[in-house]
Amino acid sequence: MKPWHLMKATLGATALVAPLMLGSASAEDAVSVSHYFTGELGQKGITEIFTEFTDKTGIAVADSPIGHEDFKTGILVRAAGNSLPDVFSYWAGARTQFVVDAGNIMDIGDMWSADKLDDVVAKSVADGATLYNGKRYLVPFGYHYAGMFYNPKVMTDAGITTMPKTWDDLLAACKTLKDKGIDPIALGSKNRWPAQFWFDYLLLRTAGPDYRAKLMSGAASYTDAEVKKAMGLWKDLVDAGCFAANSNANDWTDASDQVARGDAAMTLMGTWITGYWNGQGLQPGTDYDFFEFPMVAEGVPNAVVGPVDGWLIAANAKNAEGAKKLVAWLASDPAVQAKWAQIQGALSANVKVDASTYTPVMRRALKTVADADAFAFNYDLATPPPVAEVGLNMFAEFMNDSSNIDALMDKTQAAAADAFKQ
Amino acid sequence: MTDVTLDASRGSFRPGRAALFLSLVVLALLFLTPTLGVILSAFKTTRDIALGDLWSVPATLYLDNFVEVLTNPSVKTYFINTLLVTAPATASSIVLGILAGWVFAKLPFRGSETLFLVIVSGLFFPPQIILIPLFKLFNRLGLIDTLWPMIIVHTAMGIPICTLLMRNFFTAVPNALREAGLVDGANEWQVLTRIALPVSLPAIAVLATLQFTWIWNDFLWPLIFTQSDDVRTIMLGLVFLRGQYTVAWGVQGALALLASLPTLLVFLFFQRYFIRGLTMGAVKG
Amino acid sequence: MEQRETFWRIVLLAPALLVFGVFVVWPLLDSFRYSFTDWNGFDPNYNLVGLDNFARIFRDPEFRNAILNTAIWIVAALLLPVLAGLGLALLLNTGVRGSRVFKSIFYLPICLAAVIVGQIWIWIYQPDWGLLNTAIEAVTGVRRFNFAWLAEPSSALGAVIVAWAWQQTGLAMVIFLAGLTAIPSDLLEAAAIDGVPRWRQTLHIVLPMLRPATVVVVALSVINALKGFDILYIMTGGGPFHSSNTLAFFMYEESFKKYRMGYGSAISVVLFLIALSIIVIYFRQLRKLGEIYD
Repeated sequence: MKPWHLMKATLGATALVAPLMLGSASAEDAVSVSHYFTGELGQKGITEIFTEFTDKTGIAVADSPIGHEDFKTGILVRAAGNSLPDVFSYWAGARTQFVVDAGNIMDIGDMWSADKLDDVVAKSVADGATLYNGKRYLVPFGYHYAGMFYNPKVMTDAGITTMPKTWDDLLAACKTLKDKGIDPIALGSKNRWPAQFWFDYLLLRTAGPDYRAKLMSGAASYTDAEVKKAMGLWKDLVDAGCFAANSNANDWTDASDQVARGDAAMTLMGTWITGYWNGQGLQPGTDYDFFEFPMVAEGVPNAVVGPVDGWLIAANAKNAEGAKKLVAWLASDPAVQAKWAQIQGALSANVKVDASTYTPVMRRALKTVADADAFAFNYDLATPPPVAEVGLNMFAEFMNDSSNIDALMDKTQAAAADAFKQ
Repeated sequence: MTDVTLDASRGSFRPGRAALFLSLVVLALLFLTPTLGVILSAFKTTRDIALGDLWSVPATLYLDNFVEVLTNPSVKTYFINTLLVTAPATASSIVLGILAGWVFAKLPFRGSETLFLVIVSGLFFPPQIILIPLFKLFNRLGLIDTLWPMIIVHTAMGIPICTLLMRNFFTAVPNALREAGLVDGANEWQVLTRIALPVSLPAIAVLATLQFTWIWNDFLWPLIFTQSDDVRTIMLGLVFLRGQYTVAWGVQGALALLASLPTLLVFLFFQRYFIRGLTMGAVKG
Repeated sequence: MEQRETFWRIVLLAPALLVFGVFVVWPLLDSFRYSFTDWNGFDPNYNLVGLDNFARIFRDPEFRNAILNTAIWIVAALLLPVLAGLGLALLLNTGVRGSRVFKSIFYLPICLAAVIVGQIWIWIYQPDWGLLNTAIEAVTGVRRFNFAWLAEPSSALGAVIVAWAWQQTGLAMVIFLAGLTAIPSDLLEAAAIDGVPRWRQTLHIVLPMLRPATVVVVALSVINALKGFDILYIMTGGGPFHSSNTLAFFMYEESFKKYRMGYGSAISVVLFLIALSIIVIYFRQLRKLGEIYD
């Protein structure tokens, strides 16, 4: 066939199928939902959950998944076009604060009390994650806890039987492991965020949650002694050779693989790592386990760090009633919550979920969070998004060259102050 | 002496030729290596790849990735959608380029050169700049979550390159040909479609290949303009295999191989026109 | 006669101008409008800030970094795909056996999506088991060579450019091949009969006659370098800490990651002006070669 005949043919064919392409607009009364739970397990799980909702209530769900990284762009464009989905997944903390401040989100206080969500949502995440400017906006779907995940076999082989409780214990364990030729700590900071947990915990364990909150809101400075002290401790660990080489070249999964293979002993990561490892056939408790980030200074309240995934309803949602029903159900139905927690390797935000549905490791994680004095969002969810960009770059730069903390902090403070002004 | 040179290249033993051939084989193998990586990844489990065992020949033929891709009902939808976007957008951008190119080549007017520059400048900005205005525009037109925005935007964004190439090509078509046609009583349209188009087949083949490949592989516009799974394209399917906390490497490799087949076929189909086409387009810059 | 031509000018140009005007020019102007505001993308309310965003550009060290990287990328774009493509075209034009197969092999990378090209090169550069370091270990005998190509600020940009050039070379090759077939063969035969050696034929006859093809290759290469985005997004995300940031990526980052739509628009205005000056130079060059209007 000659190209221009081919072209005529395609144009003709297009005219024929054109009506088909227009016909795909979703039903009027469906609740439109967008979320970042793509990938093999997440997508399948969430589709089943939505189908179950439709079967139960007769309310259709128009589902629009977007890959995790592209989700942020997608939501921004839709917000700019004043066309947010009725319901969308979002990260509790500064990111939600940002969209709430822009007036895009619906106040769900009435729904919260009508559906008695106070009785259902775990206390540890309730107020911090759901209240913004004194009103309810977010409904938590699941949350994670960041801890020191390790390979028990590697630890035992190195003669470490009790896990480090203090900073000195950790340094000692590092030395022991290094002498055995094992990289003590794996860190995959290629995408920057995995490094933030080190900054979070070191600052929380030395300066405490109140000071950190100030830094996150711009009331304190990165040039403060408190920040430099935390960075200094991190540097001690780097200088002692505790971190495996090339952190910035590895993704968090690469670091997890290093621990799973036994090349490295531990990695500071969120509980989603258990989902990743379970998927590879590792046994919780025997092939991997975790310990809490060690105590550094006496008398500082014990805080835990992690992200909360939640649902928001757009202020101009077309089907607001359906959206509220869906969101309330997603948070309060124990079966849905248990299923989702299992798929994501997450902790359920719902206290009615039977603890026996968790693996032994996750049960301990749940207890750790419950016993903690405070729950803090990790760095990129605790400080406004433009500032988080500055800090995340600082962590990557630090992992590449930690020799001059003072200069690095000066630069970071200047950029952060500028980003806060926005 | 000259005879010797010629004979050397036509004789039975040609060491120069053999060396050339060998060096091309080596180069081609080097060049193929990354592609080979894609192929290898398609035949490995995600776990193998995660553990660093990518660059080895698999001991057994592991086909589950392909099975998973081919049994996924969405994949078929993605392919059809991509074709429904790529074919019409390729065709219509070329048609518009032909019409505009003809005017710029054969019917220049005062200011036409400036207008031409304005259109060509459309090649030069990063498309991210117009994400939000376009989203608003299509939202107002009620076309979000259909295939139309992709078809329209790819057509519009293709106009600069199509106009540029077609104009250069038409400038090479002798004016006498057009004038003879006009004298014979044909109008401008008939001259263009009956005389100029048949000889510009090669240029059309070039554009068809380039546009098809670029549009097929794009994921930015579908990302912004589609919301439900039944209007999504293959590149989105590929990108979204990356989950929040997981990536299915092997499946991604298998899907990537399948997704690049159409563009390869288009190249092979148009290749014979392609080489000739670029010749004539290139002569005129 | 003149009237009829005007009629056809309007009829033939209108569709392209209409589509291009509505779906490219108008959105472009609309987005440029934001460059005078402090819009964050989410908030329906924003303020006019005059030329503040433009003033900021010239103070911003990240902008200088991005513009330098873009310049490096453009220079590399002129050298790597253009020279490699030219070399391959010259080799394949000797009528070597299997040239069709070779052409297809060298063209193949263009068919692959940027997502996949980026991922596969990540695996090539992987420090511990990547192909490059494994090869270096095998050749040099160094044990445990684990340089992290994409994680070192000194090599990240270069590593991405190599991957990008690998994908672009085939396009340059095909265009050069086309240019070569256009050279009358009797010209070269005459030279051969006169005893001009092959390399001098190439230097003095072939290369000058390839100039129009070169202009096309160079233009496409520069365009793709200015737009360099997808592969960067996958391979380094502009990092580590901005070391591989380009203007296009910098604009994306400020707009969509830091929510500074106004500033991002200002960057795109500057990017557009840079691009525009490149086109003007390009066309002046073409006109000098006598390729515009007979």
